[in-house]
Amino acid sequence: MTLEIIPEKGHAPATLPLPNFVNGATWISPLMSYTPNREPFSAWNKLILAYRRYSGSWAYILHRLTGIGLVVYLFIHIWALSSLTRGRAAFMQEMQTFTSPPWKVAEWLLGALVMFHAFNGIRIAIVDLGSGARYHKKLLAAVWVVGVAVVVGMFFLIFSTELFAK
Amino acid sequence: MALDVQAAPVLDPEKVGSNRLVRSYSRARRSGAPAWWLQRVTGLALVVLTVGHYILMHYNPVSGHDYGETASRLASPWFKGIYLGFITIGMYHGLQGIWNIVRDYKLKPAVGLTIFGIIVVAGIIFVGVGWNTILTFDPTKP
Ligand code: HEM
Ligand code: HEM
Repeated sequence: MTLEIIPEKGHAPATLPLPNFVNGATWISPLMSYTPNREPFSAWNKLILAYRRYSGSWAYILHRLTGIGLVVYLFIHIWALSSLTRGRAAFMQEMQTFTSPPWKVAEWLLGALVMFHAFNGIRIAIVDLGSGARYHKKLLAAVWVVGVAVVVGMFFLIFSTELFAK
Repeated sequence: MALDVQAAPVLDPEKVGSNRLVRSYSRARRSGAPAWWLQRVTGLALVVLTVGHYILMHYNPVSGHDYGETASRLASPWFKGIYLGFITIGMYHGLQGIWNIVRDYKLKPAVGLTIFGIIVVAGIIFVGVGWNTILTFDPTKP
């Protein structure tokens, strides 16, 4: 199996032979694994190169960070909600934590994570499933504009009741 | 199903564009790597679920932080069904995502296998906890 490196303009295309472990998509199980266009660089090289070479690199790193944040939240969330099985008193006590000011802010920020990850995820899906490589830069700009507008609008709708009422 | 990087080009390069990046994309999206597809499909499902959930939990101050509100939602089998799907899809998408990040690092097979095991076991446990919450919820409990 070989892996094709997408060259920069003016650079020669390169093809590197790699063991299946590095760039194969079906290692361990088909359901839990995908690795399109894997580059055989060290993680650090990869990170630095990615920043400098592609316009979507900030979107890429933010997508990753927001994704990790959401997973962490989902674990906490499912754990906290398991108090529902222990009845009203247990749940209300659990919710005391989540209605404290720090958590209010955290939930508010979580909304931004969700919105970024969602909008950028839609962009990724459009680029991948359509022939989006032709218009991905315009799409990224559009996503930022629409995304920021929606986040601001949504935050106002949602938190006009929570922050400004009473 | 293998990710066949050598798969025959399916689109006319003239039509798609002569750019190599364009061609590699059109090939990747037909390579059939199931997890790659599922990440996109579950992602799109999560748009509705997550954003809808977030709005539902915040359209007023108590909606997302009150036992009575939750109990009245969980009285509906529709809501229960949606939550079961939400837990499963969210956990799958998130953990597949984490696994994909881990795969960006060159790991010794034994280390990779261990991390994979931890991810799968943690996923199964937390999907179980979540399902248990929804399925055994009893509003009459004090
Ligand atoms: C709201 C709707 C969502 C959409 C549209 C979406 C879409 C996507 C897509 C398309 C990818 C693949 C990125 C790539 O291959 O480069 C991805 C990755 C990921 N998603 Fe989501 N997702 C959503 C929600 C979530 C949620 C709720 C979680 C957490 C439970 C999550 C966690 C992750 C993680 C950890 C990754 C891996 C990031 C990476 O590989 O760099 N996503 N998402
Ligand atoms: C900060 C905003 C959020 C609040 C206040 C909130 C609140 C709640 C509440 C009260 C429930 C119990 C069911 C109900 O009342 O209808 C619930 C269930 C659930 N939420 Fe959230 N949620 C939030 C954000 C999220 C996000 C971002 C995700 C996805 C990553 C998520 C995923 C889930 C799942 C999967 C369930 C079912 C879990 C189970 O029963 O174990 N929530 N949420």
